[in-house]
Amino acid sequence: MSRIELVNLRKEYGNVVAVNSMDLTIEDGEFIVFVGPSGCGKTTTLRMIAGFEDPTAGNILINGEVVNEKEPGDRDLGMVFQSHALFPHKNVADNIAFGLRMKKVPQPEQARKVKEVSELVRITHLLGKMPAQCSGGESQRIALARTLVTEPSNFLLDEPLSSLDAKLRRELRAECDRLHDELQKTFVYVTHDQEEAMTLADRIVVMNQGLIVQMGSPMEIYSDPVSYFVADFFGNPAMNLVEGEFVAGASGLEFHCSQFNIPLPEKFKNTAPGKGSLGIRPENVTIGTTDGGASINSEIELVEPLGKDTLLYFGTEAVRPFVAVIEGTQEVKRHAKVDVGFPDEAIFLFAENGDRIR
Amino acid sequence: MSMTKSQRRHTFSAFRYLVLTVWLTIVAFPMFWMVSTSFKPDREWFAWPPVYISENATLQNYLVVWADVSEYAVDETGNLETVAQSLQRPWTALGNSALISVISTTLTVLFGSVLAYGVSRYGILSEGRMFQLLMLRMVPPIVLIAPISIWYSALGLLDSITGLVMLYFLTTLPYAVWMSKSFIDEVPREMEQAAEILGASRMRTIWEVVLPLVRSGLVATFLFILILTWSEYLLALLLSKTAVVTLPVELSKYQGSTEGRVYGRQAALSVGITLPLIVVGLIIRKHLARGFSFGMVRR
Repeated sequence: MSRIELVNLRKEYGNVVAVNSMDLTIEDGEFIVFVGPSGCGKTTTLRMIAGFEDPTAGNILINGEVVNEKEPGDRDLGMVFQSHALFPHKNVADNIAFGLRMKKVPQPEQARKVKEVSELVRITHLLGKMPAQCSGGESQRIALARTLVTEPSNFLLDEPLSSLDAKLRRELRAECDRLHDELQKTFVYVTHDQEEAMTLADRIVVMNQGLIVQMGSPMEIYSDPVSYFVADFFGNPAMNLVEGEFVAGASGLEFHCSQFNIPLPEKFKNTAPGKGSLGIRPENVTIGTTDGGASINSEIELVEPLGKDTLLYFGTEAVRPFVAVIEGTQEVKRHAKVDVGFPDEAIFLFAENGDRIR
Repeated sequence: MSMTKSQRRHTFSAFRYLVLTVWLTIVAFPMFWMVSTSFKPDREWFAWPPVYISENATLQNYLVVWADVSEYAVDETGNLETVAQSLQRPWTALGNSALISVISTTLTVLFGSVLAYGVSRYGILSEGRMFQLLMLRMVPPIVLIAPISIWYSALGLLDSITGLVMLYFLTTLPYAVWMSKSFIDEVPREMEQAAEILGASRMRTIWEVVLPLVRSGLVATFLFILILTWSEYLLALLLSKTAVVTLPVELSKYQGSTEGRVYGRQAALSVGITLPLIVVGLIIRKHLARGFSFGMVRR
């Protein structure tokens, strides 16, 4: 049973507040992902849990015990770093055995465990090599093995995949998922990549400017973002977010912007007029068919076939073009005029300060 | 006519080798002349046209200087015996030099690297302080002589090995701190943290992770400072000229000897001063190549 609790955790560097009074309980066996743009405080939080940074205020509890004063090595943690941080002067086997040696595990048991764990992450063929002879992906597997072998109850992973190329990243992402499944240990994972967060997490913690902005399962975060920031951060291609104004029209509230005016769904009738933005995910935009909801007639300015899907771009002269996703099999022509539909249930509204309007 | 890319590359490379060759000649020629002269009999020392490689090569210079062989000193000019007797202390000087430079360099690198670790990891010296440390080296050594002489005579450190060791330790410490800091900075902080979270103590981490990675750098630092100390002349001359004589000071005595300029003997002594450094350099050359090329740690 392992549980990490952050109680009113705060970190300041001079006048800069890196982490602002954070409260969070990470349950046993949970795969939790801290995600946010760089400088949002996610790595600082992880480093405080690890014990490399001292909190300015607040407590960190691991298994119910305050560990603020404990050394990193005494916190029942394993950590994987972005840079792998393998010891370049030790061969792979010695790298993996390092933690066991520090814990004075007898030699034969060391050998057995090193073998076991290297089978688990599939690197037995690398044991005799030096880290410099291994590729980036292999290095990260070795770093994982080095951490796994000491059998900590909690794993901290600090952007472990961001130094790898896209293909390897996907491959190792699946590997992380598999390991978590097999070990049933607590994983705390930091990334700035929303896709990694979506695919790996049981629970996502979205951070911005030292604060937790939203917390929830990947689908909750995706389908019910609490703010403009979260809506904008998750999803690829990103949500269409159009700045404009809510105006009281003849038949209810309308949204006016430089490119189009549309009536808003019934449920927003009590919203106060004023500045704000409208959001709709590219995959929810309808093309040609307009069943229930507003639509505008617009010219397709760019067609990007991706195979399975095709991206259509409208209003490319704006700061952010408006994007729609359609099936790759659908036939569309550039410069064709089509009806772009905004289904009622797919529309998000955000106030000028970024808060979601429901 | 325009050149192709590969022609241009070859021209550039030829030019580079030309420059390097000229530079090497300028640097190596005095060394060559020193070695060549040390094997010349006395009449060829000043000969014109110059003798580059003597056909009458002799070990006489070496024997007179290093073996104290007076009988070899008898030759037609007749004054070599006196030279041999008045200046015959190179082995003692060699011993003094070796003792002083090895002890002071070891102390410097030891203290300097520990200090550098503190600066690199804990910021125990601000950037300003680090530059002040380097500024110590900007002071012309000669201006220090008066105050140091006064204190040394009061403390009984004049003309002593301890006195010189202390002085060399202090004057070379800035170099040791700066050089070893650059090597320690190269070791990523995350590598130490990885060791820490795996349960290694701070000392264990330094011993098993940091030290192996900076070893080459420290060896390079050691050699650099050893050369400085080994060939230091001014302070050695002024603070200890009778009881504790170092090799450079011993060499200077030939320059000022009343018997005229005995270049062959000087050259033989010079070879003896240079050789130990070359030997040390050869022994640790594996480290030097790595140490001086920096950045051995793959990030």
